[in-house]
Amino acid sequence: MLPPASGTGQYFEKAAKSIRLIRQGCTNRPFYHISVTQRKRLNSQPVIEQLGSYDPMPNINNEKLVALNLERIKFWLGKGAQVSTPVAEILGLAGFFPIHPRSYMTAWRNRKTERENLAKQAEEAKTKENTD
Amino acid sequence: MMSVLINKLPRNNIKTIITRSSEIQSCRHLSIVPSLYDDKDPAPTFFSSQVQILLKRLTRPDLSKVFRKRCNTGLFVLRTPTYKFLTDKELEAEIAKANEKAEQLLQMPPVVKMHQTINEVLSEDPALIGYDSCKYLFTDITYGVKNEHRIIVERDPDGVLRNCDHDIRKRLNQTYFPMNGRKIKEPIMFSDKDRFNDLLDNSKYEFILDRACIQYEPDEPKYQSVTSITYQHIDLKKCYEILRSTRHFGPMTFYLTWHQSMDNLMLELLQGNAIREAVLLTSLRQHIHGDVINGGEAHNLAQQILPTPKQSEKPENLTEEDIQLDNKCVECIEKFIVGNSAMKSQHELALQGFREHYQQLIDLSRGLRKAHGGV
Repeated sequence: MLPPASGTGQYFEKAAKSIRLIRQGCTNRPFYHISVTQRKRLNSQPVIEQLGSYDPMPNINNEKLVALNLERIKFWLGKGAQVSTPVAEILGLAGFFPIHPRSYMTAWRNRKTERENLAKQAEEAKTKENTD
Repeated sequence: MMSVLINKLPRNNIKTIITRSSEIQSCRHLSIVPSLYDDKDPAPTFFSSQVQILLKRLTRPDLSKVFRKRCNTGLFVLRTPTYKFLTDKELEAEIAKANEKAEQLLQMPPVVKMHQTINEVLSEDPALIGYDSCKYLFTDITYGVKNEHRIIVERDPDGVLRNCDHDIRKRLNQTYFPMNGRKIKEPIMFSDKDRFNDLLDNSKYEFILDRACIQYEPDEPKYQSVTSITYQHIDLKKCYEILRSTRHFGPMTFYLTWHQSMDNLMLELLQGNAIREAVLLTSLRQHIHGDVINGGEAHNLAQQILPTPKQSEKPENLTEEDIQLDNKCVECIEKFIVGNSAMKSQHELALQGFREHYQQLIDLSRGLRKAHGGV
């Protein structure tokens, strides 16, 4: 059972809040809401407020769409809400936060694997030439 | 058997000839070169109150056409008309209400300069190269921000953070804040040239212009080229009457005057015996370009014409003031033809025709007045 999009979660003034991705898609089709919720609450439970959305599957133009309600995000940050890593990464890419270290790590690792793949391909081509 | 074959042959020939001629036609439409508002900003001129008044008057609004029945897409029920008995006072109030609504329906789509491309880099981060192979588009969906002021940025695969260009902005605005009637994908009638030309050939000008108004922003190059081609097509075919008393006549007149091609429209006005509107058109040209020889005179005449009712309402009931005013108009147009017209002989011919027609009208109205016992 999916939680409603926004606004039905119980709100406690003093309890810790967290801004996180909440999966809303179906099987094999991920889609996320960026929502603020009580930190101790499960992702399947109702949230306090939805702050945006994130579609991790590229669309027909090879773009990933992110919607952010920056005004409300600022409000909840001011209330001391904790931000989960994936959301911090997204906000970093958007230029709202400094870029998250994990983004740099992913980029660096992707570059490294690509370099290794290229080297491997070159080696295979070389061995093929020698055998021919 | 043979005769059947012989009968068939010429038919086929006719068919091929017809298809060829249609090909030639479509080729000719493709050769219309759209001219855009890209060098000087037309907005201050277009929105100046004098020009607006002139354009509204030239539209020649006819309430029965303004409130005509239109296709009912989007309406769930066709409403039946209601008939009421009203006192004079109530009737006046209803007419005032209808006029207000007509003014709303006739509000002209704005004419503005084409927008510049946005190319504003916010930050560069080469360390992000390889993070992802696709773009990230971020839209600020804060409540109460207008579409044109919304923050929309993109993070490219090479780590550059930049403001999005107009086409992406439009697509994302339509995704998150859809506008009724606008499509994310361009409608095929605009993207396919053949279909667009078919619409032009069938004189569906109002449909094209209405749809372009919804689909595009007025400062988009595509909007300006679509409307420009349509206006030029109307100008070629001289079907100005189709656009009369719609909201598109003003921008069309403005377009033709701005691009110095209002001679056909002038000719149509003279042939339709609308001499006062011809003077208003010269006044409009003087407002836009300031190159009319007797510009000051045209302005003065326009000021005198604007409070008078529409010309074609009671042609056989001319007062002496009307005759004086019309004679002044004829003189003004004569000077305009000598000084500025690009189609001098045709304009002069049309003016001569108007003079003869007008002389008859004068004789008729004077005779009528005499018969009724006037002086």
